Amino acid sequence: MSAVEEADLSEAERAAFDLILETRGIHQSELWKELDISSRKGSRIAESLVEAGLVRREETVYQGHNTYFLMPTARDLDFSLLMAGDMLSPFIGEEEVDPRSDAFSQWLMNLAYEEY
Amino acid sequence: MAFEELLSDPVIQKYLHELVGPTGMPVAAAPPDGEVTDEELAEELGLELNDVRRALFILYENDLASYRRVRDEDSGWLTYLWTFEYENIPENLEEEMHRLLDALEERLEYERTHEFYLSEPAGIRFEFSEAMEFDFQCPETGAPLEPMENDDLVEATERRIEELRNELSVEITR
Repeated sequence: MSAVEEADLSEAERAAFDLILETRGIHQSELWKELDISSRKGSRIAESLVEAGLVRREETVYQGHNTYFLMPTARDLDFSLLMAGDMLSPFIGEEEVDPRSDAFSQWLMNLAYEEY
Repeated sequence: MAFEELLSDPVIQKYLHELVGPTGMPVAAAPPDGEVTDEELAEELGLELNDVRRALFILYENDLASYRRVRDEDSGWLTYLWTFEYENIPENLEEEMHRLLDALEERLEYERTHEFYLSEPAGIRFEFSEAMEFDFQCPETGAPLEPMENDDLVEATERRIEELRNELSVEITR
């Protein structure tokens, strides 16, 4: 959904971005290993993707090391997970979430018997 | 029209429809570039001014539109200039995914820890204590209430929880 900014990516940046989308999130330390580049280059690529607004980054500890977790931005999320068959999540437009409401039961029935 | 790419997503269409309803949908579905007044929108779309204002206000409440007021120098009237802010739609839907995930987790716990009975003719499900209150007879049809498995429901719930957690990177970052 981000055709404009993507056009300006270098080949390595594109590979990193694709990997982040595909995995739906990956630790930075895994990213550079996976792409077979140096950690320094991996860090530079991650930074430019964050700056371009294409991915989000959170500090985290992974395998005993401080690293970042890189993940897609909201606009690359799969919003169809809000759907059960052709029903949208019943909590949209509602202040309160009632997990036992009839509307949610209907949504779950749709999920169980139409979608899966 | 602005935000065409976002609006091509059927889930986003459905989301807007859910918020503004069928009468507001012409307003929500065709956001113009830049600022626009409610009167301009009403005229362009052939809608009642009240319906346009209602839709704009709902969008405003959901952070999807903003306005600024300007006073017309000749007439002294206030005009509202509206801007559509659909760039906030993805964050709103992300928040909805988290709300749905929380509800699914709570519901899963309930489904796992309760027993259910079904009135086949009425198609209504009763929780054990309700069924007992009705003496295991359907209050609508008088038919006997039969024990009902909820394995399919539990399985579907687990599956969607897994998918949402994965998509939202819940386990890893929280």
